Amino acid sequence: MRALAGRRNVLALAGLVLLVLPALANPYILYVANMALIYVILAVGLNVLLGYAGQFAFANAALFGIGAYATGLLQVRLGLSFWIAFPAAVVVTTLIGLVVALPALRLSGLYLALVTLAFAQLTQWLMLNWERVTFGAGGFKVPPLTFGPLPAALGLYYLSLVLAGLLVGGAWNTVRSGIGRALVAVRDSEVAAEALAIDLARYKAIAFSISALYAGVAGGLYSAILSFVAPEGFDLFQMVVQFSMVVVGGLGSVWGSVLGAGLLVTLQEALRAFKGGQEIAFGLVLMVCIVFLPDGIISLVKRRARGWEEPLRAPDRRA
Amino acid sequence: MLPYLLVSGLTTGSLYALVAMGLVVVYKATTVVNFAHGELFMIGGFLAYTFHVLLKLGYVVSLVLAVAAALVLGLVTERLAYRPLMRAPAISVVLAAVGFSFVLKGAARQIWGGLGDYMPFPPVVATPAITLGGLILVPQQLVVLAGALICMGLFTAFFTSTRTGKMMQATAENAKAARLVGIRVDRVYAFTWGVGAATAAAAAVLMAPLTFVYPDVGSPLLVKAFAAAVLGGFGSLPGAVLGGFSIGLIENLAGGYINTSFTDISAFLVIMLVLIVRPTGFFGPRAVRRI
Amino acid sequence: MRTAQIVLMIVITLLIASAAPPAAAQGTPGVTADEIKIGALGALTGPGYLYGRLIMNGAEVVYNEVNKTGGVNGRKITLVREDDRCDAASAIAAAKKLIFQHQVFMLHGGGCSNASIAARPEIEKANIPWVVFASVADDVTLPTAPYIFSTALAASIESAAQLEFALQQGAKKVAVISMRDAWGRSRYNPLMETFKRKGVTPVADEEMSPDANDATPQVLRLRQANPDAVLIVLYPKAAAVYMRDAAKLGFKPMQIGQTALGDLLVFRDQVAIPNALDKFYTISHVRYTPEDPEMERWRGLLEKYFPTDRMSVYNIMGIASASVVVEVLKRAGRDLTRDRLRDELNKLKDFNTNIYPGVITCTLTDHQCHKTPAFMLLTGDKVKTVGVTTVTR
Repeated sequence: MRALAGRRNVLALAGLVLLVLPALANPYILYVANMALIYVILAVGLNVLLGYAGQFAFANAALFGIGAYATGLLQVRLGLSFWIAFPAAVVVTTLIGLVVALPALRLSGLYLALVTLAFAQLTQWLMLNWERVTFGAGGFKVPPLTFGPLPAALGLYYLSLVLAGLLVGGAWNTVRSGIGRALVAVRDSEVAAEALAIDLARYKAIAFSISALYAGVAGGLYSAILSFVAPEGFDLFQMVVQFSMVVVGGLGSVWGSVLGAGLLVTLQEALRAFKGGQEIAFGLVLMVCIVFLPDGIISLVKRRARGWEEPLRAPDRRA
Repeated sequence: MLPYLLVSGLTTGSLYALVAMGLVVVYKATTVVNFAHGELFMIGGFLAYTFHVLLKLGYVVSLVLAVAAALVLGLVTERLAYRPLMRAPAISVVLAAVGFSFVLKGAARQIWGGLGDYMPFPPVVATPAITLGGLILVPQQLVVLAGALICMGLFTAFFTSTRTGKMMQATAENAKAARLVGIRVDRVYAFTWGVGAATAAAAAVLMAPLTFVYPDVGSPLLVKAFAAAVLGGFGSLPGAVLGGFSIGLIENLAGGYINTSFTDISAFLVIMLVLIVRPTGFFGPRAVRRI
Repeated sequence: MRTAQIVLMIVITLLIASAAPPAAAQGTPGVTADEIKIGALGALTGPGYLYGRLIMNGAEVVYNEVNKTGGVNGRKITLVREDDRCDAASAIAAAKKLIFQHQVFMLHGGGCSNASIAARPEIEKANIPWVVFASVADDVTLPTAPYIFSTALAASIESAAQLEFALQQGAKKVAVISMRDAWGRSRYNPLMETFKRKGVTPVADEEMSPDANDATPQVLRLRQANPDAVLIVLYPKAAAVYMRDAAKLGFKPMQIGQTALGDLLVFRDQVAIPNALDKFYTISHVRYTPEDPEMERWRGLLEKYFPTDRMSVYNIMGIASASVVVEVLKRAGRDLTRDRLRDELNKLKDFNTNIYPGVITCTLTDHQCHKTPAFMLLTGDKVKTVGVTTVTR
């Protein structure tokens, strides 16, 4: 059994299912799966910052929003095609992520949390009030994507699948490389890291840029799947959902984030059955997961199946 | 214009200060930020509403009952979201508290949401507005200001004079040493959470006539209170109070003199600047690196 | 069995459970020999629940009563609710779930405007009839779509009515206070356009946050401009804070609200300052407030089916809208198809619900079926209608 649930088998199975999903599922399921892929990208990026580099930053939802807004605005305001706007938006988001990294170099813990929170509030405020650019609270419609002969929903799904695959693979490689080890050193002890000649500023900047890049890609895809961009999807509640995906999946684990994102998106849809009681149900599930599986769901998988070991530990427990 | 802005700035500021104090009390003892604090405030308000308006009990009785119930709720929060996670990374405690806040909010919406979008709360004193040399004051504002100051006084007295207060201070400084001298640390933690929640409820009841009672009042308030606490240097009660008043004043002054659309964001801009200059807030400890 | 496998199996089961297609529908989706499934799309959680859950409760009361007398042409109505959480992504998911998974016959819903606007393309593509019960943004119903109709007053209609009423009452200097969230925007923009069309410039234009508990800066700045009338584009909570601070600071111009402030008696209790509402006029979607004797029967029914609800204007909006839906379902007859429903909606003329201030009329080119705001004023303890206008968009 251990061998059967090994990483290669599970990934192969998952890949196969995802590939043929459009043929099996109704448009609702396809939409949910597409959303899950977008959130996988988002969660994996956030985990690099939160789980590996240990930076408790609240900026990710805002960067997600900037990615979406940039992609949409470049199309609507400047008339660019999606295929130019999207990469440009990703670059913009990554650069802004670097700017957010600047205060991180001086601050840590609660103070970093607050400054990034302030950044998030500022971004929301701009989205709501800088109407000449962002269209304000009513949001704006983005011209629907076309993929040539392919129906739009299908094309977008495969684009998300390809990007998710590439980015998850990229993260997997990065955390196993010297960069990953440096990030963990920064997380576990800044002083020891400096003693090992690890440039704190450089690696924190790398962590913030990676998470910003992933958030930018996810944001661009998000604007495409909704064909609509508005401030609501990028607020503090969003930030909580993203943190939950990372922690419930497993801090400091790439596959944990993939699992966490997939599970939480599915959960939010499955909880629809509770109608008005959804908030309560979601809160309960979150509490139960965190209290009973503090190392994330991936810890269950790691214990029982082969091939899921990751070279770097999750953050230490507090003394 | 200025006197009015100052008065309303101080009133709003006392709300932020009261809520921030509850956050800081818990943080000082347990080094954890209680992200369910906003919802504890909200439930305190709804309970007071239920006792005072729906069940027609007296104001003081309702206040006491609401605060007592919130204290119990604080103990429950500690048991569910903190004690099992004492060894987990900080973010886990944060998320567990957030999960609990969703449960509270959803429950409030189910129980009271059908009554309408928000509940008005009758003021403590129903006397008409007082005119003080051209300045018009609503008595409730004075009650709130007085309440905030009394709370601060009570806290200071509690921490410095009573045995329990000193035990809490000792635990906050060094939990291991506190255990060694025989302090029941887990009881202190539980009690601290209870006190924090009770503060939130007291703030809610005092402020309910001005803020109204509705299920979503918690989140924006938590953000502002958190900002106030950090501004004051998290871990300092006087700092939290100063931070709260600062934010209230900044908001009103910016809204009055610059543009009302700046009200919400002005405080955050100022905070960002302050933290760049003084990374640990007004009264925060100078950054000490533990090697 | 290994824990990982159990976890995996639970996940897969959850997935399948939420994906399981219902029994295949023959012919028209959502219609069987004895049932009509109506999908309700709106906010069930989050602050937007006022424009979702509460309105759905009102609608469900109507449907339950109709079912008690045998249903519509022999079919009982089942209301299936899905939460759009007042945001675009959830709205699209909810719409897709209702259309493709629950396979409902028609949609009756639409609360938060942004959510409705985002879901609209999906709904349009599916050619499923949609009767909007609360979203006011014009973008929800414009450009006119064959199957999308609205029984809610459109933002542009209300905003134009606000300004016209102020000018009619003789105001020369008009000021505005608004919320700049999506709801506020959807009214603020058409309001500014109406100002331009009439060649009037607002003397002050202030903004308030929906959660503010203090409006002193706004009132002070408005007072400086000395307007004759202030147009209020605020939710009840913010409006109550504003009116309270205005009264406190002695600022008493004519104040004109809109349908969000439709329940004057409750509003008066919320502001809680005597005589604060003396010059406060507001627009209501519906002719009655919950305290009116004409609403007695509905109030009793609402509290029977939803014991924790206390009747509010939101419930009444649902009741009125559902009355329209029931009427067109009846007219479409036993041989019920989506096209027939659409045709009946297009033909609906001068239908009197006895709850909306005016009649409901839809035409082939104009699916904004409700165009008659009523102006109300509180005199003593009675809410009086002081005018009903019909505004064409």
